[in-house]
Amino acid sequence: MSQTVYWIVTILLFTAGVYLLAVMERWAVYGRLELTYPVKSWLSLLGQESVTPRKLDMVFYETAPLLFITAALLAAMVLPFGQGSPAIDLATGALFINASLAYVMVAVLMAGWAPNGVYAMVGGWRFLGQLIAYSMPIVMAITATVMRAESMALTKIVDSQQGLWNIVYQPVGFLLFYLSSMALAFLPPFDLPVAPGTLAGGVLAEFTGVRLLIFRVGRLVLVMTLSLATTVLFLGGWHGPFLPDFVWTFLKTLAVAASFFGISRFAVRIRYDSLLAWSWKYATPAALFNILWVGILLLL
Amino acid sequence: MSTTALILLIFFGLVAIWFGWRVFMTSSMVRSALSLLASMAAIGAMFLAMEAEFLGILQIMMMATEMSIMAIFMTMFMMDPGGMGGMDMSHQKIPSIGGGMIVGALVVCIAAFTAWGNMALEVPLPDKQNYDLGMELMKRSMMIFESAGTTILVAMIAAVSTALPYKSDIDGN
Repeated sequence: MSQTVYWIVTILLFTAGVYLLAVMERWAVYGRLELTYPVKSWLSLLGQESVTPRKLDMVFYETAPLLFITAALLAAMVLPFGQGSPAIDLATGALFINASLAYVMVAVLMAGWAPNGVYAMVGGWRFLGQLIAYSMPIVMAITATVMRAESMALTKIVDSQQGLWNIVYQPVGFLLFYLSSMALAFLPPFDLPVAPGTLAGGVLAEFTGVRLLIFRVGRLVLVMTLSLATTVLFLGGWHGPFLPDFVWTFLKTLAVAASFFGISRFAVRIRYDSLLAWSWKYATPAALFNILWVGILLLL
Repeated sequence: MSTTALILLIFFGLVAIWFGWRVFMTSSMVRSALSLLASMAAIGAMFLAMEAEFLGILQIMMMATEMSIMAIFMTMFMMDPGGMGGMDMSHQKIPSIGGGMIVGALVVCIAAFTAWGNMALEVPLPDKQNYDLGMELMKRSMMIFESAGTTILVAMIAAVSTALPYKSDIDGN
């Protein structure tokens, strides 16, 4: 496949994936499966009046939604869909995912601070604590996949799983990455920064119209990116029989995203102190154990 | 270094200086912390312009978390975190200006009078850079980094210990 065709296919699949995730999100929240819902919802937000709060921090208020979606897209650009080169082919791709996802936190922090509102600010600071706690297991789970591939290039990490996927080779790492990804995308049961019912939307409470639309789409892009990252790092990437490589990646990514939303639909929101305790007391030591485990396997 | 890389290097250098200046020109603690983040991220972009991929991305990643943590601490401990009460961020102006000028002059002198050796015309590929960095960390510089890591860990444990309340405070005695 030529590089141009590869590009077109990748962009189309990613866009289709984000649309399907919007349908899944609707099902996860309201239990209804409507294929036309995303179009109606997005058009409605486009037409909605953009109400801005009084005495806001305008620079952060305008920057936050754009930074949020940009960070999620940048992380997606290093992830390979097929055997061709990803949009940004980096020798440090695994590190780059972390770097760009760290700016999701900065964007949410800005969104919490900018509107000068209590609920938004509580949500923003909550996300800071949440993401710092859960970025540790994410970083360390990625490190273990890098150890096996002996490279930070994501194409080499996929190649290293040709015989045995990382989900089998390092199941603890997979579990940590999976749950931490849900916390990073603040999906239930980790939806404390938005917390419908207690924080009235939290970080997103003061955003309306186009800005809210960018946040909503940005969150779907983020879930898609994290699902794709799970596929690339732990589920063998494009490896699979009969079907073309990019179809395998797409199907696996959608399956991961569907499982995220499936858990979200039925999980109960975790209490804030438990959320932090789980990460620092159990997930971080487990991530260190995973690194030790992979190290031993590599030496055997 | 190509002309494009040089232009990018100068551009990001200027961005870093501009945001560094903005840190002190605002009274909002969060704006101040995030201006510093922008300045540090611009330095990361300078590394990327110099084709030091790992260092650039590491700088951009680490600073996002560190400056966000700094933002919440500044907000917690400052009397006027939003800067809406007219608080002046600057203090001890004359000693600060004097200190800044002396340190600035020292930095310029070090830059001007150090024998930097020949300019590297060929940059190793990013893969090779990562390998070389790993070898450096795990061989010659291992003791230095391990000592630094242990020191930071001890400082963190000490900080957490001092932040914990006395047992008698919890019991209400």
